Amino acid sequence: MTEYTQKIREIAKKLLSEGKVDVVIGFREGTVPLMAEPCLVSDPAGVDQLVFNSFCGVNLANYLPRRKDRIAVVAKGCDSRNMAQHIAENQINRDQLVIIGAPCTRMMDRRKVAAAVDGKDITSVAEADGRLTVTGPGFEKVLDRESVLQDNCAICVHVNPVLSDEMLADPLPEQEKDRYTDIREVEAMTPGERYAHFEELLSGCIRCYACRNACPLCYCPTCFVDESKPQWVGKSIDPTDTLTFHFLRAFHCAGRCTDCGACERACPVGINVRQFTKKLEKDCKELFDWEAGMSPDVRPPLDTFRPDDPGKFIK
Amino acid sequence: MAEWEPKIAAFFCNWCTYGAADLAGVSRMQYPPNFRVIRIPCTGRMSPKFILAAFRRGVDGVWVSG
Amino acid sequence: MGIDPGRLHFSWISSAEATKFVDVATKVIEEVKALGPADRFVKEKAQVA
Repeated sequence: MTEYTQKIREIAKKLLSEGKVDVVIGFREGTVPLMAEPCLVSDPAGVDQLVFNSFCGVNLANYLPRRKDRIAVVAKGCDSRNMAQHIAENQINRDQLVIIGAPCTRMMDRRKVAAAVDGKDITSVAEADGRLTVTGPGFEKVLDRESVLQDNCAICVHVNPVLSDEMLADPLPEQEKDRYTDIREVEAMTPGERYAHFEELLSGCIRCYACRNACPLCYCPTCFVDESKPQWVGKSIDPTDTLTFHFLRAFHCAGRCTDCGACERACPVGINVRQFTKKLEKDCKELFDWEAGMSPDVRPPLDTFRPDDPGKFIK
Repeated sequence: MAEWEPKIAAFFCNWCTYGAADLAGVSRMQYPPNFRVIRIPCTGRMSPKFILAAFRRGVDGVWVSG
Repeated sequence: MGIDPGRLHFSWISSAEATKFVDVATKVIEEVKALGPADRFVKEKAQVA
């Protein structure tokens, strides 16, 4: 990981001092451990705050839409797919970007780490050889990396960036995984059971819209939840309103979601928000053989028409 | 109380099904009166929002027809 | 997402197909009727008679 950090600093310094870019978007240490935060550096003197570790889960593609300057940006596999998606959706120009590709070693879930030490205060963490050493007042614990990975990272099949101008390391081997076991369980339910399941799943939702704000796909100038004429969805935490919000948000992400896990990371009450987007991701894969953001040049299936598009549901 | 009758929101494309419904009307065909027709300029105007909005307002079914 | 598939119908009817329209209309209504009143996802009572 320190290699990545050093390389990011080198590249950032070079690009900024040569005037190739106006700003570098990367990560720096957060104010508390386990929380690397996004950071914009525009002065070559400031590059030493940039880091890369296993808690850089924030999707940096979120900071690109509608920017006019030239940007260098650190991209993990999922980030780069979202950037490809942004380019295809004309939210950013490829010429504006210098993508610093980071073959991702998969990110860790701060909640899982916290749970593994029974919620005790953590003052520092250190990573080495697939292990994470967590220390706090009066304790030290060594955790196996695999056991605290983010759920979406554990089943990630695209850790390598799809677009890059600079690479921090050689591409890593991709794993083969069955990504949809949990979705199949939900699919097997009857409509009634499913409704009850979703109500239960969302019972803790406080409608803070953190999932929407963290999502790189949610860049609409006015989100449908903020519209008042007509008001599509009420502002309360009435179960019907909450369900409407989550369903419609998922529909908007259909064929665009890269399962980066930003929504789930951001959720303050730990709802498995990905369950909704993942179902649509699975449908896109099965019906159109489509995975979002694999190339900025191919039009997504939902904005193209082919005579052989599946249409069995139409009478 | 009379037998329960469902309420259905029907979204019809101006150029297709709306025309067919009109033709059924001028041909004096009989069909059940359970749906309330909402004419949209084209089925492309349809959005998942509309379907959810209809269910939220308490309809028993939604029928989208192009 | 918890709505019975029988409550949501899609069809494609040309403006010349009045008979198909009547057929499909009857079928849609029968299916919804068989499912009974909707109790899921309802925020307010339907305001039309």
